[in-house]
Amino acid sequence: MATASRTLVITTGSGIGASVAERLRDRGDVVIETDPSLDLANAHAVSGALGSLVGSGTVDRVVLAAIDPSAFRAAPITSLSEEEWDQAAEYPMRTAFVVLQQVHTVIADGGRVVLILPTVATTGVADLVPLCSAVEAIRVMAKAVARRWGARSITVNTIEVELAAFMLGDDVEGDAGGVDVPVVPVLGQPALPPGSAVDDVLGLLDMLATPAAAAITGALLVADRGTVMQP
Amino acid sequence: MSGLQGLMEGRVVLVTGAGAGVGRGVSAAFGSAGAIVGIGVRRPEAAEETAADVAAAGGTPVILRCDVTDAEQSAAAITQLVSDYGRLDAVIHNAVSGRSSEATDFENTTLEEWEDHATVTVRATWRLAVQAYPHLQKTQGAYLLMSSPAGIEGSERAPFYSAVKAAQRGFVRALAREWGPDHIRVNSVAPLAISPALENMKILEPERVKRIEGLVPLGRLGDPETDIGPPSVFLCSDEARYVTGQTLVVSGGRFTSL
Repeated sequence: MATASRTLVITTGSGIGASVAERLRDRGDVVIETDPSLDLANAHAVSGALGSLVGSGTVDRVVLAAIDPSAFRAAPITSLSEEEWDQAAEYPMRTAFVVLQQVHTVIADGGRVVLILPTVATTGVADLVPLCSAVEAIRVMAKAVARRWGARSITVNTIEVELAAFMLGDDVEGDAGGVDVPVVPVLGQPALPPGSAVDDVLGLLDMLATPAAAAITGALLVADRGTVMQP
Repeated sequence: MSGLQGLMEGRVVLVTGAGAGVGRGVSAAFGSAGAIVGIGVRRPEAAEETAADVAAAGGTPVILRCDVTDAEQSAAAITQLVSDYGRLDAVIHNAVSGRSSEATDFENTTLEEWEDHATVTVRATWRLAVQAYPHLQKTQGAYLLMSSPAGIEGSERAPFYSAVKAAQRGFVRALAREWGPDHIRVNSVAPLAISPALENMKILEPERVKRIEGLVPLGRLGDPETDIGPPSVFLCSDEARYVTGQTLVVSGGRFTSL
């Protein structure tokens, strides 16, 4: 697979997923984007939507960057109702399962699946316990899936970017689904000069699409310009 | 286990899923450390062996009906411990779904199976934290989650179990920061230990167990009481007063790349 010829992008219609879809389309890639109003935790709805978007063929690459904006609301866990906990923590996990399960039916052998997530779970952030729980769950679900789909030469990897970049993408002055970007304590200064997280992600997506990356699966690639260097 | 003696003397802890396996072993270890051990189980009659272990080790067993998927039961278990013994020093959430040892057919299963795992391991992790918070705040206590190496490396056979155990690790890191100002410590243990499912496997598929043991540098699966118990007690004790937000992998060296 020299380049990804058909890319399915699953987003909530804002943030880094929407920006990645727009940039891929602008440069001439064939991009299939899900409707932001699609309930990604509804297996029947997701199956129907992917079936009608993809048709009888397959896609070469799937980019999944879809965390419901309600997960970004900062609040102590003791202030959350059962419904709020569910929406912020468990709904994103459910959507990851449902989407990945349905992706299995539309991705070509040798295809690339890339999840984009915020870096919050790597270090943990106070008042974002539900989001940190969800992100870590999704990241490890991706690893398990990478092990399962390896026999079809499908790779599954995760790219993490800083929370503000995840929520806003290119739309740095925009409205991240009606939720303020939470304040994440500065855990370190970036080693590299500032730049566009969308550019950084696109670079990694291109790299992961090359034959040279065929052996990379289950990996976490952190595109935070060296802010958090994992042990 | 003389090394634990007195480490939790007079302290009150709640262990969920304490009727068998790691929960039973960890309960006994807290008993050795002198704790009053709330043995949280769905069916109290299933806790008698654990209670005997705790008592034999020198602790005080308290059997509590505590199905962690039932908010009222877990709240009542905590209330009873605090009411009878005046304090709560640690909660050890060990309970898992009854389907946790089953293989998951990820590509063909339904949300119902996901919910089986998530209700016990994700929802109850949050709910127990909320219910225990005012009591742990008073004692500057500890919240300990029993995670798993699968929650770090991802298991082909158990993608749901892996995901919910990973969720606990994200939870630990974030809550450790949130509760740090209250001096409540939040950690997890990722054990590789003999479980009732593995005991069964030893009988039915001894070669498979041998293969698993062959992957462990120390050459054996951990014993819930003597291998997993002491690190768990340590993390809830004053000896670990400066340790929070961590996952301690107790796997005989099976997993080394955290």
